[in-house]
Amino acid sequence: MESSPQAIHQRGGQDGTSPRQDGPSGAPLSLALDIARLWGEHLNRPEVGVEDDFFTLGGNSLTGIKIIDRVAQDYGVQLSVRDFYLAQTPARVAQLIEQGRAAA
Amino acid sequence: MRLTPGPGRDIDLDDVDLFDLDLYTSGDPHPIWDVMRAKAPLHHQVLPDGREFWSVTRYEDVCRVLGDHREFTSERGTVVTHLGQDDVAAGKLLTSTDPPRHTQVRRAIGSKLTARAVKSWEELIRQSIVRFLQPALDGSPFDLAEQALLLPAIVTGPLLGIPQKDWDELVQLTAMVTAPCDPHFQHGSEAATLAISHHELVTYVTDWVARRRAAGGEDGSLLDHLMHVNAGDAPLTDEEIALDGYSILLGANVTTPHTVSGTVHALIERPEQFDKAQADPTLIPNLVEEGLRWTSAACNFMRYAVDDIHIGGGTVPAGGAVVAWIGSANRDASQFPDPHTFDITRSGAKRQVAFGYGPHFCIGAPLARMTLRIFFEELCRRFGSIELAGEPQHLRSYFIAGMTHLPIATRKRHTP
Repeated sequence: MESSPQAIHQRGGQDGTSPRQDGPSGAPLSLALDIARLWGEHLNRPEVGVEDDFFTLGGNSLTGIKIIDRVAQDYGVQLSVRDFYLAQTPARVAQLIEQGRAAA
Repeated sequence: MRLTPGPGRDIDLDDVDLFDLDLYTSGDPHPIWDVMRAKAPLHHQVLPDGREFWSVTRYEDVCRVLGDHREFTSERGTVVTHLGQDDVAAGKLLTSTDPPRHTQVRRAIGSKLTARAVKSWEELIRQSIVRFLQPALDGSPFDLAEQALLLPAIVTGPLLGIPQKDWDELVQLTAMVTAPCDPHFQHGSEAATLAISHHELVTYVTDWVARRRAAGGEDGSLLDHLMHVNAGDAPLTDEEIALDGYSILLGANVTTPHTVSGTVHALIERPEQFDKAQADPTLIPNLVEEGLRWTSAACNFMRYAVDDIHIGGGTVPAGGAVVAWIGSANRDASQFPDPHTFDITRSGAKRQVAFGYGPHFCIGAPLARMTLRIFFEELCRRFGSIELAGEPQHLRSYFIAGMTHLPIATRKRHTP
């Protein structure tokens, strides 16, 4: 459960390294779009962008629990709860999934 | 927040920001509530982001808002940190459920928490408290507020069925729920802190239930009771078990420590009151009531008006959020003469509403009262004097009035 939330959080800051496309940290845009679609389903939103904020979209812990379960099922990656909520956008969650896959 | 108000000051009620966290961390809300009770018993505030809420501060109005679900519903959430977002757990989490379902579940869970039921735990709790106080007895500095955060887990862990290895983590998580902006507990943003803590607490109970189911049998703990009790004519759903288990952990962890710290602080500031309690231990149950009134750890709860409701000389429009300020009601001079005087011999201290009022009156109150009584019995028996050993610090929260640091130095009592 103890991860490195601060490292993740800094990546989410205004430092310009957020992966809009394939970045060096390696989350493909298609994966980010898939995650955005998944969020849309759970948050009842037709359009979710890869840089949209989970909480601004109305996300909460009960939707978070369902989304993390779905990611585990669909991608075989068990996201850390803290990393997920500190990531806050589909793009950065996609990055976490990529990291999880690489570490597996 | 300061529990002993500072000098009076000019207060412009149009400028008052009751959601200003600095007011609770380093400020002094009581003089504001005093003016609100006198001049604006129904107060309206609009936040910069457009959310708005009405406040009631008089004893009578606070009881009415908390007590009458036909006028003021709990089903859209009751905690001010979620103002404006309808509670996702409405109708499933006991605190966010109105009668009649509330009555069924409340009765089922409460049967294990009556004064008679908790009495059997008295000796176990006394042993835990004696162990808790031991390190403070040698006179070296002891941060009571920091240590007290663990006290409910030490006391109620075995009753709830929570193993000791999990206490630290659960105490951290419950503190995050109540003070998501306090630097001691914040992770990322306020929203992230709340989501992480809710998520991990609910998951903790869910996993606990899964393990208990796999193991079979019953262990007599309170969480076990949730799994087996019937509410109405059916067991609680898994979702209800997870949410109410979460709620019980929260209720146990986040209020009692602050009542302990705030009351001890009041006694440090008023050694004559401490002397009285030592001279006559039969005053301790009333000391506990006065301490509950004085600290009002759950500073407020929220409801939503079901209709246009006339209250406090004004009208809350249908759907409006109403915050019932318990901390203020407990200083209402109409109920408590000289309300800002801490007096362990006060008659009528037991009318305090620190545990709330009406159907949602704290389900753990008998256990909390007993724990606090034992705590102050043992404190008075063991400690000759208590002094401040550093600057107290207050919790950054407008929901829980609490302390994060209360360094004390004590001397042993020689003539018990």
